[in-house]
Amino acid sequence: MQEATFLILTALADGSQHGYGIIAEVQEISGGRVRLRAGTLYTALDRLRVDGLIGVDREEIVEGRLRRYYRLTPEGTERLAAEAARLQANARAALARLKPLGVVT
Amino acid sequence: MTEPSRLEQGYRRVLACYPKEFRRANEEEILAVLLATAAEGRQRAGLAECADLLRGAIKMHLGMSRSPRPVLNAVRLMCAGAVLTLAVLATVLVTLGSLRSDFIQNFTAAQWHTVMLTQIVPVLASAPIGAGVWLWLAWANGRGYDWARPAFMALFGLVTTGLLLGVGEGTALYAPADLIAATVLWLVGLAVIVLIFSKTASPYYQQEPAQQ
Repeated sequence: MQEATFLILTALADGSQHGYGIIAEVQEISGGRVRLRAGTLYTALDRLRVDGLIGVDREEIVEGRLRRYYRLTPEGTERLAAEAARLQANARAALARLKPLGVVT
Repeated sequence: MTEPSRLEQGYRRVLACYPKEFRRANEEEILAVLLATAAEGRQRAGLAECADLLRGAIKMHLGMSRSPRPVLNAVRLMCAGAVLTLAVLATVLVTLGSLRSDFIQNFTAAQWHTVMLTQIVPVLASAPIGAGVWLWLAWANGRGYDWARPAFMALFGLVTTGLLLGVGEGTALYAPADLIAATVLWLVGLAVIVLIFSKTASPYYQQEPAQQ
């Protein structure tokens, strides 16, 4: 799973979000490192919808403009949990091997 | 109703590059995000933002966000095939001098002239068309048109014939670099065939294009 995809799914893990909200959440989760642009975001959202990992929660009109909220599907939640566990296991293994070198505490 | 700002007009012009059906469903929403993320007082769409949108538009046209993984990888390979076809053209151009000196050691200048006109010039002239065909088939396969797979088979047949002719003629007509480039192109074509005829990819070609 690409990092942007992982971060988008993570942004939706605790509730539905609209496009701008996802960009802001991803920036926050990544500590400001990843700033999604609109073109990248909507290509990823389209892919995730086709793969059945996210769905549209609701739509609103705010100041005359469409705001669409996205949510994780059960399949998306499952995939995110599996990916998070995989990353955690990898990180744990790396940290265990780095510990004797004294570069991590 | 208020007049759209210059910034909004700029974004709309870039968004016009997306496929019509995608625009109908998403344009207003993307526009809202673009305007919300734009710095205050900004009058023109930024270069990086436009490049990102154009990249997204190309992916949408090639069906890269909707196709299953094997088709997605096949589309990437077909784009690489277009680049490689142009690389073959470049290697022929670069190696033309050494090819000529090797050739005229065994044959006359008049024979070289004939070979140039009948075999090398057609290769040079057809390479840009070939690259265009690779890109066109990348688009058609990405969209899942049912004729796209047989059409790619036909292209692969031509690539195979070209390679076999090249191998048959040996280095008397082709420099080793040309044969290597043609072999790589053939391998790319073979990988595409495997991907687009895979079990996961096949249902994608059996859908109505409107669903894709």
